[in-house]
Amino acid sequence: MEIEISSVKMLYKHLIFLAVQRCRMSDDLCRLTVKLTSFSHRFGLPLVRISGDFSLSLSPSLCVTVFSDTGVGSKLEEYQYLKYRDDLVLANQWDGMISLATTSVSDSEIHNLNLNLKESNSAGRLTKLPSTTKNGVKFSGTEVSVSISKSLDDLLAEVTCFLQKFFMAFTQMILVKIPKVVMELLVGGDDLLGTQTESRIVTIEGSSVYSPVESIKCLEVGLKDYVRKHHTCLSIGENLKVGTGVANSSGSSHGNSQVVEAVVIINEISELFPSSCMREQDTRTEILYFKDFVHCSVAQSSLDALTSINWKSYGLALRSVADHDDCVILEWENLPPHFRIHIAIHCYHRQYPSLPDRNLARKAVKCALDDLKENNQGVLLSTRELKMCDYALDLAKTLARLILSSNDLNFQEECCSLLGVQSQEVNPDNVGNCIREKIISVIGLNDRNSQKHKEAPSFLFEDDCFRKEDFMDEDYQEGEEAYISWDM
Amino acid sequence: MGELCRSTIFFFDQHLCYADIIPPSQVRARIEVAVLNFLKALSSNDPSISDLSLISRNPSNSRVSRGLLTGDSWIFLSHSFCTRSLTRENSTKSFIRVWKVMEMCYQILVQEKRVTQRELYYKLLCDSPDYFTSQLQVNRTIQDLVALLRCSRYSLGIMASSRGAIAGRLLLQLDQRFEGSHLKLDQRFEGSHLKLDQRFEEPNKEVVDCSTCGSSGYAISGDLDLLEKLSMETDARYIIMVEKRLAEDRVFNQIPCILITAKGFPDIATRFLLHRLCRTFPNLPVLGLVDWNPAGLAILCTFKFGSIGMGLEAYRYACNVKWLGLRKDDINQLIPEECLAPLKPRDLQIAKSLMASEILQDSYKEEVEAMVQSGRRAEIEALYCHGYDYLVKFLATKIVQASYL
Repeated sequence: MEIEISSVKMLYKHLIFLAVQRCRMSDDLCRLTVKLTSFSHRFGLPLVRISGDFSLSLSPSLCVTVFSDTGVGSKLEEYQYLKYRDDLVLANQWDGMISLATTSVSDSEIHNLNLNLKESNSAGRLTKLPSTTKNGVKFSGTEVSVSISKSLDDLLAEVTCFLQKFFMAFTQMILVKIPKVVMELLVGGDDLLGTQTESRIVTIEGSSVYSPVESIKCLEVGLKDYVRKHHTCLSIGENLKVGTGVANSSGSSHGNSQVVEAVVIINEISELFPSSCMREQDTRTEILYFKDFVHCSVAQSSLDALTSINWKSYGLALRSVADHDDCVILEWENLPPHFRIHIAIHCYHRQYPSLPDRNLARKAVKCALDDLKENNQGVLLSTRELKMCDYALDLAKTLARLILSSNDLNFQEECCSLLGVQSQEVNPDNVGNCIREKIISVIGLNDRNSQKHKEAPSFLFEDDCFRKEDFMDEDYQEGEEAYISWDM
Repeated sequence: MGELCRSTIFFFDQHLCYADIIPPSQVRARIEVAVLNFLKALSSNDPSISDLSLISRNPSNSRVSRGLLTGDSWIFLSHSFCTRSLTRENSTKSFIRVWKVMEMCYQILVQEKRVTQRELYYKLLCDSPDYFTSQLQVNRTIQDLVALLRCSRYSLGIMASSRGAIAGRLLLQLDQRFEGSHLKLDQRFEGSHLKLDQRFEEPNKEVVDCSTCGSSGYAISGDLDLLEKLSMETDARYIIMVEKRLAEDRVFNQIPCILITAKGFPDIATRFLLHRLCRTFPNLPVLGLVDWNPAGLAILCTFKFGSIGMGLEAYRYACNVKWLGLRKDDINQLIPEECLAPLKPRDLQIAKSLMASEILQDSYKEEVEAMVQSGRRAEIEALYCHGYDYLVKFLATKIVQASYL
């Protein structure tokens, strides 16, 4: 399973992915740090500009990124399937070299290596450097460095978005058996004087707050946070409607069961917000996909799963599924203007590595959609269900008019007390609305229960002579003749 | 004796489903019960939307009652139900239609009015154009309501349309003494025979002489109450049911008879009146004159046996109509080839149902077979090819020969 590195972002993704897996394997609390440092040339080009607001802005041409973790020691096999793509843009930015320093708990020294991904010959790829002694201290960890020829700002711009999504997944790191992982992002640079300038720590997503909970809960919390932060001008507290779903496979021959989790969030933006706040692209849904706790591009199987779901039964019409380089966008037909859908999918094995299963992904997403529907009345209604709401309204109005046209006050009172309408509030609208709501809630209940069991419906009149039932649905055929068929 | 024979011993009571003829207050009560039960089910701890259970008006639910001593037979409906449900896709609209008609009828009864089916159709069309698109749909929904509440259409406040007409040797008078009374009991068993001298006690009440009504005869009202209250007197010897229109040549002056027509498929009011005539004048044979085609025979059979469409009520008004003509012998002997028209596909459909029906006697079925085999049909008017007064001669001959099935 070769992975071709075609961009800096992709490289970073994989390096973080590997670091995360190493942390998962460890029994202890782990820290994962990503440190971006810019280095100016010591000689020559002026590199310091003082801008109008007296901030220092550096324009170095080199960024060194170090990914360091305190997980288990790195196995070199992890890197053997990485391939360097012969790309001009990439060639200008990265020379294909990875510096590695790693050690396991049982090792007595830290192994230092250089990996040249440009080298296709596996023997020539690896260069061993002198080891560093650990002096008897027991620890494990890995430090991976790469040098990128890009300005710090450009690099940050490229990776920040991806890292944001990545942080989202970190709330999932809190599992019963897997310890907490603390992640930090450090950004800094040397100026001419060799001192450290600003060091920014991007916020750690609440990893210390949560006690061990289920992975799906973490995915849910993560997506909620992400949605709120992503739409900063729109978040006004909890008006998010959430549905979650989990699908498990029974496990392969290795006893390695696979899990797919899905979270669907719908937020309906209040019409009070100015339309300038809403961007065109917000009406599309970006799939946030995670594999083994790391954000990555959507697997083909999950992509297939998304296209195979019957969106119509949720009142949605999928126009297109666009698979861009690192993200998948769902475009919808006729989505109401204030409606936003967010979907996150996470596939993982109980043990690493894993290959996602399409059926599981489909099942998980469907589960999440059903869950959302069940807990939020009036959301994701199919066309049929919307029609039923109209029918319910007509029926309710008819019944309300019948009740209120009566000159028998006892009858009216009895009806109103059954409905819970107070005597002073008795009017066609109130009575009608009350009936309508009850009908709609029963319909919704029926839809959910229909798969579970079919109950015999109640009838209006008890009939002792009830012999046999004929469940024929007659819909009348139209015809202008006085008699259609001789009805003997 | 005839009345006794139709008693419960031979009546298979437990199989029969019927619609009660009840006063407005009782109908309102039934509607109120329906609404309350619906709301109770909706508001209960285990809420549900009640289905409407209606007696099936299908051939599969129809039964035949054969009178053992009188030879009368009629069709009735038994306890098979069809269901209208809000949640089942192709039944939702019909479900709501029943409630809408129920609402209308309830209001009509509260206001103590009566409407015709036509008037009701227009009201529903304006009120709920999404649900009601034709008169037929309205009529069928009314029948659903009858089947649900088990009360007659008339009890719901809906009058039959007045399509029928009557002419001949008959005197009619509205009977004052029955003013304002409600029809409570099954009319089949409650014939009230008025003594001759009591009937014309109110000289100011108009007496209608059906022999002087003109060619269109006396229009039969759709108000069954009114028809029930009519006093009748006759010196006719026969009652002749005619398919389409009453003869213009005063048949009844030459043959002492009463002519009655529904001008097509028999409506309840006409059937009702014919039945009243039968009960009031039990010695008068009832003869039927219809076109020679399956539709004509179907009309005769509706008068004779009742119908499934209104099976909960119609059985009450069946009378023993004998088929005078036109029949295959008449066609062979009297109608020239030019006067015959081909059978339409519609006719063949009706013929098929007639042949499949269990109530139809063999002699009738033979006639139907002959119709289908010849592929031809003929109207009564074809007799006029022999002259304008031929109809009278035809009838007279037939009666004298007692040539009826």
